[in-house]
Amino acid sequence: MSAIIRSTAVAEFDVQRYRADFPALQRQVHGKPLVYFDNANTAQKPLGVIEAVDGYYRRHNANVSRAVHTLGSEATALYEATRDKLRAFINAPSRDEVIFTRGTTESINLVAYSWALPRLQPGDEILLTQMEHHANIVPWQLVCERTGAKIKVAPISASGELLLDQLDALLTPHVKLLALTHVSNVLGTVNPIARITAMARARGIPVLVDGSQAAPHLRIDVQALGCDFYAITGHKMFGPTGTGMLWAKRAILDSMPPFMGGGEMIKQVTFDKTIFNELPYKFEAGTPNIAGVIGLGAAIDYINALGIETIRAVENDLLGYATEQLNTIPGMRIFGTAPGKAAVISFLIEGVHAHDLATILDTDGVAVRSGHHCAHPLMQFFGVAATARASLAFYNTRDEIDIFITALLRARNMLL
Amino acid sequence: MSVANLYQQIVLDHHRAPRHYGALLQATHNAVGHNPLCGDHVRIELRIDEDVLRDISFSGESCAITTATASMMSERVIGLRREQIETLFVDFDASLRAGPGASASGDLGDLGELEALGELRRYPARLKCALLPWATLLAAWDKHPSITTETAESPTP
Repeated sequence: MSAIIRSTAVAEFDVQRYRADFPALQRQVHGKPLVYFDNANTAQKPLGVIEAVDGYYRRHNANVSRAVHTLGSEATALYEATRDKLRAFINAPSRDEVIFTRGTTESINLVAYSWALPRLQPGDEILLTQMEHHANIVPWQLVCERTGAKIKVAPISASGELLLDQLDALLTPHVKLLALTHVSNVLGTVNPIARITAMARARGIPVLVDGSQAAPHLRIDVQALGCDFYAITGHKMFGPTGTGMLWAKRAILDSMPPFMGGGEMIKQVTFDKTIFNELPYKFEAGTPNIAGVIGLGAAIDYINALGIETIRAVENDLLGYATEQLNTIPGMRIFGTAPGKAAVISFLIEGVHAHDLATILDTDGVAVRSGHHCAHPLMQFFGVAATARASLAFYNTRDEIDIFITALLRARNMLL
Repeated sequence: MSVANLYQQIVLDHHRAPRHYGALLQATHNAVGHNPLCGDHVRIELRIDEDVLRDISFSGESCAITTATASMMSERVIGLRREQIETLFVDFDASLRAGPGASASGDLGDLGELEALGELRRYPARLKCALLPWATLLAAWDKHPSITTETAESPTP
């Protein structure tokens, strides 16, 4: 690990300038400066996002698409502008393929109910991986219960990497969908999606990618990735909660019936029949989270202005430093050591329970997650009930990592 | 706020050297309690004879708070009847919400060492950790094989 050596770009990155954009980072917890290391759970929001939400309610508040007055036009323009930003953010071929949802969970459920449910039959299989979180497991279980299809699981190595040969062997003609995460929320592993979709495509198997943890850290290009579905959530990429997106290829979306009924997804309704609206509105029932979507647009602006490559470089530097420092703690066990992983570190200290650790760290102002991270099967793979997890963002600092390490040592000394 | 008040010596002592830990010979009742929030589980075994708890043991994988609670609870409940244990649970639950020094309502005396956990009132996210062993004990007595903290947020007679 060469974390001590920093690239010039990273060394010159003025983190304090960016930290000033995040009001929550200025607050104190238990009289100590907040050290927020729970970014994979949800990220803090920059002022631009908060003001976009606030500004919508203060100036433009109106429903989208169905009001002809000025406020309605403004609201619609702001709302639809986020669709364009998202299209560019993931390099989708068309804005019509960008469906707003409440987040990744809803995006995956949309695919499960609207695409998978009418198609799957007994004997069919859905291939998942050992590192999926519950949002990419449970919807498929529900679909399987109703169709008689089965779930298969691609294994991972002890370092937390997908075993590609075994994944390849599992892509049999029975598999009707491969659904996997882009970046593991527990291990930080970045899966080689383009290679995996090539393997699946050679057998005509569509691929859904859960991009919740990738969107804040990696450049996403759905065309280069070669996937068929891509899901993201807004709140992990500095946007409001309750926002997200499903992208899918137009031909697939055209073949899918609406997920929910009502509102803007309707073109014409009689009591006999409904003619559904065109994409993307076919899948956007009811009055959406307009303020949230506008806030998500501001989050994308923020990421773009900073540059995803800068984010990745700064986070890599922090990851290296944090890993190095953690490994000096006696009894430290880190889960997930894949090369090129994202800045997520799951760990345990021998003899110390993750919950006790998190409670003690909290009193030092350090916020980490403890528990199973909604990834029970992964915890079972590693044979633990829970881990602690420090997940970093570009606005974190080496000084904060030092505070974290000192707090960990204090907790260890207290409990052992 | 000092976290040392929660992880005070008495709690840590029970965490490091839990009493009544392990399997119980001649157990008549048992149950497993799960905390889905974190994946922890605690197994409780009882030997009940003529409606009196004669012996108890616990095992499983849990945090210091759950382990210390189970250990202190085990020391406190031997020789009691079900309704007496339930009363203690109600008192314990009240002390977690009111803080240390909350008086016991019944004629069973105070909570003893369990009062040390009253500091949990400052850590609402951890309340379930301390309630789990109690709920599991009562589930075992009632011959329910398992219980989760999602159904044991408050004493459920």
